[in-house]
Amino acid sequence: MPPINFNDIEVLLPLIILVIWACLLLLVDLFIPKKHKWLTALLAAFGLALTLGFTLSQLGSESNGFCATGKPSICMVVLDGFSVLVNALLLLTGLLGVALAYGYLKRMGIERGEYYTLMLFSISGMMLMAQASDLIIVFLALELLSLPLYVLSAFARSNSDSQEAGLKYFLLGAFSSGFILYGIALVYGATGSTSLSQIFEIASVGTSSLLLTIGAALILVGLGFKVAAVPFHMWTPDVYQGAPTPVTAFMTAGAKIAGFAALLRVFGSAFPNLSEDITPILWALSAATMIVGNLLAIAQTNIKRMLAYSSIAHTGYILMAFVPYGNPEVAPVSIAAGLFYLFAYTITNFGAWGVVIALEQKESKGLQISDYAGLRRKYPVLAGAMTVFMFSLIGFPPTLGMVGKFYLFRAVLSGGYTGLAIIGVVTSLVSAFYYLRVVVNMYMFAGEPKTDNEFWLRFTIAGAALVTVVFSLVPQGLFAWASRAVLKLF
Amino acid sequence: MEFFLQPLTLVTFFPLLGVLLLFFLPSDKKNLLRWTAMGFTLGTLGISLWVLELFNAPNPHLQLVAKYDWITVAGWNIQYHMGVDGLSILLLLLTTFLTPISIFSTWTAVEERVKEFMIFFLMLEIGMVGVFLAQDLFLFYVFWEFTLIPMYFLIGIWGGPRRIYAAIKFFLYTMAGSGLMLLALLGPGIEGKTFSLPDLISSGGIPTNTQFWLFLAFTAAFAIKVPMWPLHSWLPDAHVEAPTAGSVILAGVLLKMGTYGFLRFNIPLFPQAAVDLAPWMALFATIGILYGAALAFAQSDVKKLVAYSSVSHLGFVILGLFALNPEGISGAILQMFNHGISTGALFLLVGMIYEQTHTREIKVYGGLWKITPVFGTVMLIVALSSMGLPGLNGFIGEFTILLGAFGSTAINNPWYAGLSALGIIMAAIYILTMFQNMFLGPEGSIVEELKKRGHVLRDLNRREIIIMIPMLIFIFWVGLYPKPFFDLIGPTVDNLVAALQTTTLALP
Amino acid sequence: MLLEYLAIAVLIVLATVVALIAIGLGGLFGPKKKTVNKSMPYESGMMPIGPGTRRMPVRYYLIGVLFILFDIEVVFFLPWAIVFRQLGWFGLIEMVVFVAILLVGYVYAWKKGALEWE
Repeated sequence: MPPINFNDIEVLLPLIILVIWACLLLLVDLFIPKKHKWLTALLAAFGLALTLGFTLSQLGSESNGFCATGKPSICMVVLDGFSVLVNALLLLTGLLGVALAYGYLKRMGIERGEYYTLMLFSISGMMLMAQASDLIIVFLALELLSLPLYVLSAFARSNSDSQEAGLKYFLLGAFSSGFILYGIALVYGATGSTSLSQIFEIASVGTSSLLLTIGAALILVGLGFKVAAVPFHMWTPDVYQGAPTPVTAFMTAGAKIAGFAALLRVFGSAFPNLSEDITPILWALSAATMIVGNLLAIAQTNIKRMLAYSSIAHTGYILMAFVPYGNPEVAPVSIAAGLFYLFAYTITNFGAWGVVIALEQKESKGLQISDYAGLRRKYPVLAGAMTVFMFSLIGFPPTLGMVGKFYLFRAVLSGGYTGLAIIGVVTSLVSAFYYLRVVVNMYMFAGEPKTDNEFWLRFTIAGAALVTVVFSLVPQGLFAWASRAVLKLF
Repeated sequence: MEFFLQPLTLVTFFPLLGVLLLFFLPSDKKNLLRWTAMGFTLGTLGISLWVLELFNAPNPHLQLVAKYDWITVAGWNIQYHMGVDGLSILLLLLTTFLTPISIFSTWTAVEERVKEFMIFFLMLEIGMVGVFLAQDLFLFYVFWEFTLIPMYFLIGIWGGPRRIYAAIKFFLYTMAGSGLMLLALLGPGIEGKTFSLPDLISSGGIPTNTQFWLFLAFTAAFAIKVPMWPLHSWLPDAHVEAPTAGSVILAGVLLKMGTYGFLRFNIPLFPQAAVDLAPWMALFATIGILYGAALAFAQSDVKKLVAYSSVSHLGFVILGLFALNPEGISGAILQMFNHGISTGALFLLVGMIYEQTHTREIKVYGGLWKITPVFGTVMLIVALSSMGLPGLNGFIGEFTILLGAFGSTAINNPWYAGLSALGIIMAAIYILTMFQNMFLGPEGSIVEELKKRGHVLRDLNRREIIIMIPMLIFIFWVGLYPKPFFDLIGPTVDNLVAALQTTTLALP
Repeated sequence: MLLEYLAIAVLIVLATVVALIAIGLGGLFGPKKKTVNKSMPYESGMMPIGPGTRRMPVRYYLIGVLFILFDIEVVFFLPWAIVFRQLGWFGLIEMVVFVAILLVGYVYAWKKGALEWE
C-alpha cells in the first residue's frame, strides 16, 4: 500500500491550492448574477494572490515530490529556486491578466466568469510545467496549460477573428503536442525512462545515440511552437491578433514563460550532453527568430499584429540565453539573464498591451497604429506610459528592457557567441524603427483617440510603467534572485 | 542624503527636480513654465560653477569623485561612479552654460506645448551632464543613450516640416553606433570584471588584437555622433529640422559627446590601437574638414551651411585628439568648447532672424546690415570667430591643433595638418560669402515681402542681446586670454599623454 | 526474437494476398451490367429520400460530449476497483479527488442548462 506522503503535497502546495480555488470559483461563479461579475474577477485575483503568498513562502526550500518507491532520485515534480521564481512570475502574469481583462470584457460585451476560471487552470498548467521533472508531467502540464488557452482565444465567440484564432491555435497546438509526444516516445525508446534525471544518467554513460538526439530535437520543435520561435511562428500573428486582447497579453507572457521553463527543465537537466548538437540549432533558431520577427514587424499597421511580431522577436532574444545551456560555466549566468529578461518582458509587455486594451473599441476598432495619433494631447499619462514601454521594448535606458538586454548580451558574449550578440544589437536597431512609429503617432500627429476610464486598467498601466523605470535603476535584488534561482540547476 | 549632496550628483540631477515640478504645473501658464525651467537650469549652472570652484586644476586625476556600488551581483561590478577632471570640466561648464541660454532663446520661438518642451530640455541636460561626468562604462552608456530620447522628441515635435524623418534618422544613426559600443564595452567589462573606467585603464592589459576591434566598435558610436566623414549624413537633416534651441544644444553639446568619447575612452582604454590607427583617424578627419567646408560653401540654406561647417570644425577636433600630443589634445578640448560657443551663437542668430522671416534661404536676404546693425555686428563677430580670426576664440583652438598635428609622431605626416590648414581658408570663404550675401549689398527680396505683410524687420531686442552677450564675452575671452582655460585642461592632458607613452610601443 | 513473429507476418501476407486475389478475380471475370438501381448507395432496400446531409439539433452534440466525458469515468473505475484493496486509503482518497473534479464539471453543466432539452 503506497503511503500518503505529505511532503509530496507540500511540494505542489501552491499548485493544489490554485486548482482547488479554480474549481470552487467555477462553482461559485454559477451563483453570481451577471451584474456582479466583478466579484468573480476579485475572487480570481484573490486566489492568485493567495497562491503567490504560498509560493513565496517556499523561497529557499528545495525538495522532490512523487518519487518512485525506494528510488528517491526518480521523481515526478521538483521544487527549487527556479520553480519558485518562475511560479511567482506566472502568478504575477495572472494577476496582471485579471486586471487587464475585467473592464475589457465588460466593454466588449463578452463578460463571463469562465474567463477567470480558465485562466486559473491555464496558470496551474504553467506552474506544473515549471516544476516538472518527468517528461510525462511536462506533457501533462503542456496540455493543461494549452487547452484553456485554446478556449480563451475563441472567447469572443461572436467575433469570427476570435473563432479563427481559437481554431488555428488549437490545430497547431495539437500538432506541436504531437511533436513533443513523439519526441518523448523516442527519448523513452533510447533510454528506457521518462524521468529527466534518469535520462541524463543513462545518456551520459552510453555513447551518443541518434534516437535520443532526434527525440530531443522533436521536443525542441514542439516547444518552439509553444514559444513561437521562427520557423514555428506561423500561427502567432493570426492568433495574437484574433484572440481577445487580454488573452493575447496573457499568452505572450505566460505561455512564453512556461515554454521556456520547460525548455530549461528538459534540456538543462536531461540533455546537457547533447549540447554539441542542440546548441547550434538553438543558435540558428534564436538568430532566425530575432531577424524574422523584427523584420516582419516593420510592415505592420495593426498594433496587435505588430506587438505579435515583436513578441516573436523577443522570443529570439530570450532564446539567446539558452544557447550556451550545456556549458556549465556560462549557463547559470545566461539562464539567469534569460529569467531577468522574461521578467522585464512580462512587465513591459503587459503595460503595452494594457494601452492597446485601453484604446480598443468594439468590433476591433482602434487597433491601427494611426489610431494612436494625438494620444499625447488627450491622455498624456497613457501616452507617457506607452512611450516608456516602447523604449523598454527597444532596450533604451532607463528601462527594464535595457538592463535586460545588457545582462543578456553580456552573458552571451561571455559564452563566446559574439555573432549572436551582434545580430541581437542590429535587430534591436531595426526594432526601434517600428516601436518609434507608435511614439511618432502619439506625440507628433494630431488625432482624436477615445478611451474609457477603467480604474484597474489605468492602475496596471501606470504601475507597469513605474516598475519598468524604477527597477531599471535598482535591479540588484532581481538579479540576485535570478542568479540564486538557477544556482542549483547546473 | 550624503549621496545627493555630492557636487557632481547634484549638478547632474538638479534638473530632475525641475522635471518633477514641471509635471505638476498647469500647462497653459507658459511664462511660469519658462521661468521655472530657466530657474532650474540657472541653478544647475550655479552648481557647476561651484564644482569649478572646488576643482583643483593642477591635480591631473579625477576629482570630486562620487562612487557607490550600484549593481554588484552575479559577476557584475557596476558602480555609480562620477568624477571630473581636466578633460571634462570645460564641457560640463559648456553644457550648463548653453542650456539656460537655449531655453532663454525659446521665449517667443516655442509657443506650442511649452510644458513638454521644458521637460524634455531639462531631461536632456541630465543626460548630457551625466555623459561628461560618468566614469563607469555602464553608467556612461545609460546617460549616452538617454540623451537620445529627449532630443528625438525635441526634433520630432518642435522641428521643421520634415521633422519626423529627421528625428528618426537621427535616432537610428546614433543608436546603430551605440549598439556596437554596448557590445564593445561589455568586452572589457567581462574580462576585467569591472566597468569602472579608471580601474580598467590602470589594470591595462587589454590584448592588442582585442584593442583593435573594441576601438573600432567604440569609434562607430563616437564617429557617428561627432559626426566624422562619411557618417555625417544625419547631421544636416537633424540641424535643419531641429528648433533653434535644439540646434544649439545639438551642435554645442551633443556633438562634443562624440569627441569627448574618443578622448575619454578610445585613447586611454585602447592606447595601442589609438596609436596604430591615429594616421587613419587623421586621414578621415582631414577629409571631413575639407569635405565639410566644400559642402558648406555649396549650401543655399544658412542652417545647413552652419551644419556642414560643424562637420569641418569637428574634423579639427579629431585631428587634434589623434595627434596624441599635449598640444593637439589641449587644442582639441579647447576647440570643443569654442565650437560650442561659436556655432551655438551662429545657430542662435540664425534662429533669431528665422523667427521673423521664416526662411533660411541665403539668397532672399541681403543688405541686412543697414536695417539691423546690432544683429549684423554680432553676426560678424561670431562669424569671424567661427572661421578662426586671430584674437577670437576659434583661432586659438585651431592653431593649437595644427601645431600639435604638425609635430605629431603618431600621425607622422605633416600633410594632414597642411591640408587641414586649407580648411581654415575655406571656412573664411564660405563664412564671408554667407555674410556678404546676407548682410551687405542690395536689399534682399525678403525685406520687401515682409513689408507687404505689414512686418518690419526689427533689430535684436533686449532679450536677444542678453542672450548674445555672454557668448561674445567667451569669444573674446578665449581669443585674447586663453591661459585660464589651458590651465584647467593642461595637467590632465599631460598626464594622459605621459600614460600613452608608457603603455604603447610606437610613441617615442 | 523477431522470428517468433514470423508466423504472424506470414498470416498477414497470406490473408492480404487471398483477399486481393478473390476481389481481383471477381472484378476480372464477373459480368458487369450497370443499372440505375445498382449504382445507388443502398442497392437493395428503401429509396433514399431528401439530402444525404440532414441537419441535427445541436443538443445531440452537447449530450454526446457530456456522455463521453462521464462515460470515460467508468473506464477509470474498473481497473481501480480491481486493485482497490492493494491501494487502500490512498486509492480511496485519489478516487474521491477524481470524482470531486468530475462532480464540479457535472454541477457546472447542470447549472449552465446543458442537461435541459429545451
